[in-house]
Amino acid sequence: MQYRLTHITEYHYGVAATVSHSAVHMLPREVSNQTWQNFDLIITPTPDVFQKHVDFFGNSAAFAAVQQPHKQLIIKLVGTVDVQPRQPLLQNMSRPWEQVRDKLITDLTNDGLDAYQYCFDSPLAPGLQMLQAYTLKSFTPGRPILDAAKDLSERIHVDFKFDPTSTTILTTVQKVFEQRSGVCQDFAHLMIACLRSLDLPARYVSGYLRTYPPPGKPRLIGADASHAWAAVYCPDNGWVDFDPTNSQIVNNDHITLAWGRDFEDVSPVKGVVLGGGNHQIRVSVDVEPLNTSTLAPVVGQNMSQSQSQSQPSTQSQLPSQSQSQNVN
Amino acid sequence: MPTINSPANDYSPLAGTYDELLDASGNMHPQWGKLVEGFAQMGAQTVNSRWVNAQRLIQDNGVTYNVYGDPHGMERPWALDPVPLVIAHDEWAKLEKALIQRAFVLNHVLTNLHGSRSLITSNVLPADMVYANPHFLRPCTAIRQRKDQHLVLYGVDIARNPAGQWWVVDDRTQAPSGAGYALENRVVMSRTFPNLFRQCGVQRLAMFFSKLRETLAHLAPQGRDNPRIVLLTPGPYNETYFEHAYLARYLGFTLAEGGDLAVRNNKVYLKTLSGLQRVDVILRRLDDEYCDPLELRNDSQLGVAGLVQAAAAGEVTIANALGSGVIETPAFMPFFRSLCRKITGEEALLPSVATWWCGHQQARTYVLEHLHELVIKSAFDGPHKTPPIFGQSLTKPQIDELKAKILANPHHYIGQESVTLSTVPTWQGDCLVPRHLLLRVYVAATEDGYTVMPGGLSRISSAQDSKIISMQKGGGSKDAWVLSDGPVNMFSLLPTDVSNVKLARQTQDLPSRVADTMFWLGRYVERAESLVRLCRSIIQRMIDQVMEESCPELPRLFTLLGRKTFATPENGPIQSPLEEYDRVIGYLQMVLFERELDFGLLSMAHHIRRLGSVVRDRISLDTWRILSQIDRRLSQAAVTPLDMTEQLELLDELLVPFTAFAGFSHESMTQGQGWRFLMMGRRVERALFTATLLDELVVPQEEHELPMLDAALEIASSNMTYRSRYQTTVAALPVLDLLLIDETNPQSVGFQLNELSRHIDTLPREILDGQRTSEQKHILKLLSELRLADVQQLSQRDSLGRRSELSDLLNRLVSELLELNDQLTQRYLVHAQPLQSLSVTSLNPQSLGMEAV
Repeated sequence: MQYRLTHITEYHYGVAATVSHSAVHMLPREVSNQTWQNFDLIITPTPDVFQKHVDFFGNSAAFAAVQQPHKQLIIKLVGTVDVQPRQPLLQNMSRPWEQVRDKLITDLTNDGLDAYQYCFDSPLAPGLQMLQAYTLKSFTPGRPILDAAKDLSERIHVDFKFDPTSTTILTTVQKVFEQRSGVCQDFAHLMIACLRSLDLPARYVSGYLRTYPPPGKPRLIGADASHAWAAVYCPDNGWVDFDPTNSQIVNNDHITLAWGRDFEDVSPVKGVVLGGGNHQIRVSVDVEPLNTSTLAPVVGQNMSQSQSQSQPSTQSQLPSQSQSQNVN
Repeated sequence: MPTINSPANDYSPLAGTYDELLDASGNMHPQWGKLVEGFAQMGAQTVNSRWVNAQRLIQDNGVTYNVYGDPHGMERPWALDPVPLVIAHDEWAKLEKALIQRAFVLNHVLTNLHGSRSLITSNVLPADMVYANPHFLRPCTAIRQRKDQHLVLYGVDIARNPAGQWWVVDDRTQAPSGAGYALENRVVMSRTFPNLFRQCGVQRLAMFFSKLRETLAHLAPQGRDNPRIVLLTPGPYNETYFEHAYLARYLGFTLAEGGDLAVRNNKVYLKTLSGLQRVDVILRRLDDEYCDPLELRNDSQLGVAGLVQAAAAGEVTIANALGSGVIETPAFMPFFRSLCRKITGEEALLPSVATWWCGHQQARTYVLEHLHELVIKSAFDGPHKTPPIFGQSLTKPQIDELKAKILANPHHYIGQESVTLSTVPTWQGDCLVPRHLLLRVYVAATEDGYTVMPGGLSRISSAQDSKIISMQKGGGSKDAWVLSDGPVNMFSLLPTDVSNVKLARQTQDLPSRVADTMFWLGRYVERAESLVRLCRSIIQRMIDQVMEESCPELPRLFTLLGRKTFATPENGPIQSPLEEYDRVIGYLQMVLFERELDFGLLSMAHHIRRLGSVVRDRISLDTWRILSQIDRRLSQAAVTPLDMTEQLELLDELLVPFTAFAGFSHESMTQGQGWRFLMMGRRVERALFTATLLDELVVPQEEHELPMLDAALEIASSNMTYRSRYQTTVAALPVLDLLLIDETNPQSVGFQLNELSRHIDTLPREILDGQRTSEQKHILKLLSELRLADVQQLSQRDSLGRRSELSDLLNRLVSELLELNDQLTQRYLVHAQPLQSLSVTSLNPQSLGMEAV
């Protein structure tokens, strides 16, 4: 499946900002089932400093600093990506989850050590004890880890209501769990936190999701959104992605950008600005399928939940990137 | 052995602890001999009287320690005990060797964790200790520290167990505090007991700081010569701010807050009046997480956006390296021994206090079985956030509850052996009592290894049985005397005469924030002084009035006082002061001493002290003493209501420090840019005051003009000048000329404007094709208007009896001056616009990056 991707983040300042520093996690990383034909990160005004680097988690990232007064800053990712279907998941073939947990403690291979770090609390996805009971309903003794993870993902989809008004980036996993609603980012964090409550390795994947217009309606350009989901590690299978928001095993509708312990590690754009006064943030994402001959989604499958928002904001309440950019 | 009247005779240590002075059979450890003898010769009375002076020295020097959660007296005077801890030369040599070994190992671990991490892959350091550790900051792994020197200044808390063996209790690897207090303790002790100090042959501290300075300079990127080094402080609200300012001045570094620094093109700059100045090395007193709102905690208001990136680009060296907090956690303790063996091939020379990290199964089992005898601490938080729990004081249900908590989150807990700390004799007025001791020692990197400060910060418990030693909790401190086995090196970094300390070392280094503080310091001091003069004139009249005829100017003076303090008397203006004696007293009491009155004298004094403390590294010690004296005297007086005579005495007394401050600022400050801003603040404020004075006393319609003019001259301290110049009766025309126009009278508006114009002309500015800046134009316009004014005409009254032309001129002056004030602020002082984080709103705005002593 081929897509043309456009992701634009715009900052509009009330008064000129003297300097802005941005940390960008919008450069796609190498993934085995993805091939990027071309991509470009365009920042206007042209930054005085632009530096790419590879972060601790292996993601491509960049710093950009604009050092002359500017009233707006636009960060735009455009690219064409080919996403191949993933290996079919044989979830019952994976090992019992307890074995995965115990193996990692002594696994000193590179992959093992890398996976091990995702077992521990991170600021936005701590493995709270209160999540254990809920998680253990899926993780029954001896159950293959991927089978259990798939079940957990499906249960979150059923038990939690998708509601963009119910959370912000400041909403904790605990709150999401108690109120039983949230958006994709919350569900990804929740699933990760549940897995970590059992000392299992789980990470946060940032990317995009192809959305399907309602039957008979044209696709709305720019109405897509950033997306996030979770991945779990099994020594034999490597990392396997689950999308608790849409109850899908991740396949070629998902475009992967970056991953980390939680949103904080891979937030698409983080910025610090000197001056600027009141400001607004606008975000638009467009995931355009290029060869539409591919089969439409299976009837009966849920519509992918996705919503893009561009909200004006006021100074009194500094908007967070994710409040406006509402990652679904 | 002590003989005559030795205070040690009645000293009895606690059973079951090691005592620093006496051994188990009551014999004195030999290194204490000279000290005890010296104290015995002095006698309790002499010690006490000298100590009173020492306390005053501490207070005058403004040695304070900020205590959190204490809204009023947040600054607490530093608690120092007159009896130092004495350590023998041989023993110290052993400690030195052990601490250098430890510093070397820790530096190696930091380098490895921020580089190859081979210690993890080879399983010398367990991966989970690092991965579960919230202080392992992944963005900081991009930094390649210059010369692999992560640990530049290392602080370590050591204590002695009952067998007399020293143990490491705590490592401070990111921004250790207290070295400045240790230095100040030494200054106080050596001045208070100079003979004793010399007789004992105490090793000096100066060489240590000199080496530290040298090392920092060598760490400059690309080996640049003559690098600019700044000390990065969280600011005046940090508990150890005194020390930051003190060390910065002692070491000759610029004290900078995060807002004083900026990153451009991956380089760090200091924002100064003359523009951005490159910074090469940062000695930081800010915890890792707070250093960069872009890549670390984005709610930090204390850091510098882009600092991690600048360090990663190798354009600035930060000491200690960002990320060094990862091993400043109790969870690291259990792994030191094996790391030391692996890294050095030697056994650790100094043991760490036995610690079990519950993240590991075996250790967890041990802790759970021995909860009642262990101390349970957070594995990664400081004691600030999570106070330690003493197992022995828990009930059965509490033990069970704790067990459940540990099991739920084992990685977050450690169990530690409960240490019985040694005791040290502490002065209690006439006898010595035992107090528990914790010694913080400092280790600094050198070109070829590490060096240990011969001495340290000894901290003592507040009570005999107290297990927690914390300056926050009211403990005290001691100097630590390490004895020399040969002649003492007399090297000193201190200026020989502290009164010669100058305002600014290099004018181009003056941070805009400092200029801003100096400007407001000038304004506040001037405002407070004019308030004192005004109140004094009022009270003198009130006292005289009782005997003589009424003073028609008194109600006007009360109105003027109201205009300057924004406080009106209860139940309306005071019309006939003589009959309203009680209301007058109440009003004056409020204006002078009411804490809540923003523009009252006491608030002014607080502001002065606060501003003074912010620029502690820029003003001389004597100047600082004067400023704090004003506040102290007023705060003392505010406690009990005063009658008018007492109020008058106090005001007379207060004029002395104000005059002294004015003298110092003229005579002993370098006339650099900081001084200029101080002066400009004064000039603006005085011009405003004199203009208001004239507006209140000379403008309105008045039958008895004479007393008004007299009062104006008196409050503006110009009556002497007037008499010597005119030798006639007082008249409006010459008074106006003297107070408004005459540029030779230091009290006149004209004088202030002329001075302002001179100062503004010397401020740094961009070249504008020979054109004047807007401030220059502004002040020139004001000055010209005043110079061209016709005094004759100004003194004319209109048909209603008012001097309306004068009134118009004064009003124009006031509003134009305020505008000039804003222009100056705009151009020179608001470099530090607020930083906005555009990603995540503040999670916890109150939190500050800090570390407890």
